[in-house]
Amino acid sequence: MKIKPLTQDVRLLLVLLPLMAVLSTLSPRFLTLDNLTNVVWSVCLIGILASGAIYPRITGGIDLSLGSMAALSGIVVDMFMNRFGFHWILAIALTLLIGALIGLFNGFIVAKIKVPAFVVTMAAKTYLYGVGLVVSQGAMLAILKPKPFIAIGTGRFLGLPIPIYIMFALALSSQFILKRSAFGRKVMAVGANEVAAKLSGVDPDSIRLAAYTISGVTSAIGGVVLASLTQQVFAAAASGVELDVMTALVIGGTSPIGGRGSVAGGLIGAIMVAFIVNGLNLMNVPASFHPIVTGSVIIVALLLNEGYLSPKKGGLSSARR
Amino acid sequence: MNDNSADGGILLECRSVTKSYSGTTVLDKVDFSIRRGEVHALVGENGAGKSTLVKLITGVTNRDSGDIVFDGKTVPLEHSRKLSQELGIAVIYQELSLIPGMTVAQNIFLTKEPLLGKTRLIDSKKMNRMAQELIEKYEFPLKATDFIDRISIAQRQLVEILKALSGHASLMIMDEPSSSLTKTEVEMLFRIIHSLRAEGISVLYISHRMEEVYALSDRVTVLRDGKLVSVLDKERISPAEIIRLMIGHKLEEAAIHHQLPRIESGVVLEVEGLTSVGKFQDISFLLHEGEVLGIGGLVGSGRTELVRALYGIDPIDAGKITYFGKPFAPSVRASIAAGIGFIPEERRLQGILATQSVTRNIGIPNLDLLAPRGVVRVKAEQEYSLRGIKLLNVKPPNPDQLVGNLSGGNQQKVVLAKWLVRDLKLIFIDEPTVGIDIGAKEEIYDHVRKLAGMGVSVILVSSDLPELTRLSDRVIVLRKGKVFHEFKECMLTSEMILRAASGITEGSDEN
Repeated sequence: MKIKPLTQDVRLLLVLLPLMAVLSTLSPRFLTLDNLTNVVWSVCLIGILASGAIYPRITGGIDLSLGSMAALSGIVVDMFMNRFGFHWILAIALTLLIGALIGLFNGFIVAKIKVPAFVVTMAAKTYLYGVGLVVSQGAMLAILKPKPFIAIGTGRFLGLPIPIYIMFALALSSQFILKRSAFGRKVMAVGANEVAAKLSGVDPDSIRLAAYTISGVTSAIGGVVLASLTQQVFAAAASGVELDVMTALVIGGTSPIGGRGSVAGGLIGAIMVAFIVNGLNLMNVPASFHPIVTGSVIIVALLLNEGYLSPKKGGLSSARR
Repeated sequence: MNDNSADGGILLECRSVTKSYSGTTVLDKVDFSIRRGEVHALVGENGAGKSTLVKLITGVTNRDSGDIVFDGKTVPLEHSRKLSQELGIAVIYQELSLIPGMTVAQNIFLTKEPLLGKTRLIDSKKMNRMAQELIEKYEFPLKATDFIDRISIAQRQLVEILKALSGHASLMIMDEPSSSLTKTEVEMLFRIIHSLRAEGISVLYISHRMEEVYALSDRVTVLRDGKLVSVLDKERISPAEIIRLMIGHKLEEAAIHHQLPRIESGVVLEVEGLTSVGKFQDISFLLHEGEVLGIGGLVGSGRTELVRALYGIDPIDAGKITYFGKPFAPSVRASIAAGIGFIPEERRLQGILATQSVTRNIGIPNLDLLAPRGVVRVKAEQEYSLRGIKLLNVKPPNPDQLVGNLSGGNQQKVVLAKWLVRDLKLIFIDEPTVGIDIGAKEEIYDHVRKLAGMGVSVILVSSDLPELTRLSDRVIVLRKGKVFHEFKECMLTSEMILRAASGITEGSDEN
């Protein structure tokens, strides 16, 4: 019997939908628009960051500086607007530019000097946090103006929070770039086999530079949205979010060794984790138990995605026979 | 207990060993023996059964039938790597099996480290001293505390040898040990082999380099098509004789005799004095339209390096390249844009994107055509893929199949397909049929000839001599980085290529 294999994203939806069904029977509050909106809202930052962080991931690298970069971007955009008095649009543009430059710098060290991405971006995570501390003078700063800036995070359009639109816009464009653009094809090729890609005319170095630059820009966007949403900025505002992003990507089927990945999957992954946490909350499970559940979900997702359990790879099921 | 000296100086004896893989007999009743303290060379063309014989001796695979006796002990049919090590058989691997982050001493004594008293802790001082003593005994240019990743390939081979010596090996098997060594390093290796022999250690030496076999060996065993052809004693060893035995005079020889045609078409590529320091020097040749130019030579003669440089992967130090009458500075991108394709020698490592579909693999070098404004035209991409699959008869004909799941032959067809769907003018093909079944091989041969028929020029690098003879219109043979001989408009046989690759000029030998 031969069944055409489902794409990863469809398989994930097949897990997500029953999960929602179960949660809705367990708690009548689950399937209300308010609750669902809340859940999606809570994954906005993860979704925005994942849209860019997927590029280094697919090339076989990783960007761990996302959280520090996002927090720093919040501090910087506030500085431009409220200390230097720049127009909010200019302030955001400059912040994104800084994100791009820092991403480019990470990419340069990874691509040209060939230092492992893990080390480079781990260092970046630390020094960017340090720069954030210096610029914010170690304080938690409140942002109360300008109004249009605050509206980015707190406003609604057609009843839904604006950050949800930003997240979907970024995720969709990223998905389109990965699946349909020549650049996306090249990113995948570099991750799958750098030498073969090179012999087919792809320049792996410039692909890597671009990948980290994109990740820097989406981190800055995430930071701006977060600042506007929470109306406060500090150097540790998004600390640890890089791990949530990597979790979402892993659940979404982005290969831990590169060459394969999907933003849509990552988004579904993030929403899935958020739903599980939300469901646990609604069922009054103490918060201290949540990480045990999410950690287990990652392992299960990884086992399923990488085919460790399929008999073909000589995994668990074949060993049993 | 067997008395070791009772076997008349024979260390290893294989009697009538046979091995077949899925119905194909790769070793057929081969008798083989190695004496104590001799250097014994094992030679034969690719596929003659050399590596299979070594695998049977070292227990990597089990023989189907026949006896192996080592050091007076009968080796059971259920042989294993572990057993062969216990018996005293050591292999110096081509792809070295040392741990890069550890020191010389740590590698030599891995899993047999001296311990501190009755504890489970390693006595590092003693271990370093033991390693240094070993190094000094053989006068190796090494230090016990050097880290493996800081020393040269040649030095690493020495560590492998010391590792084997510390395990009290009585037979050391060296598979093409000189292929990545410089001239002075090879000389050092030879000295070491001589001192091993002086200690009564036997060396089984596998090499394609006739001059090494000639210089080193006490005896030579020649295999051909899985059968023992001859065992030559020292007095009878000569490069020309070995080559004659290796190639043999088979009935099919007539088919392999190949008349090289006269080429009168226009010149596509002109290479003058091309040099890449340490790889090849002063290479000049012409390539005509619709011509298959074969490049022969031993591994390490600079063949692969030459085509890589011409395609633009590695830099060139001197020389001139003219392509369709214009000066050409190769870079991979410029080459692809100019209608040049490249099939690399190692399909898995350099050719395919294993985790991606056939369509994606075929699409990658064609993105300039499939996505002229950056967005891939999916329909066109699919169409290219189907065209490639049909053109090369890729099985199964499924464009969504992951290439890593295809057979070797079909993987290679995909690598060919991604270039053939383009408007190609010149293609470099390096070892196109290694590890490919015979059916796919024939299909690939057909395509190479068909390409030439369509006016595409082909530069073919191959170690498979019948392949090179049969496909080429003209052959240049490289030796030590230089053009040693060019065969054109003449009868060509495998033997002629191998003789040139081994440095024998026609008419200079005793035959």
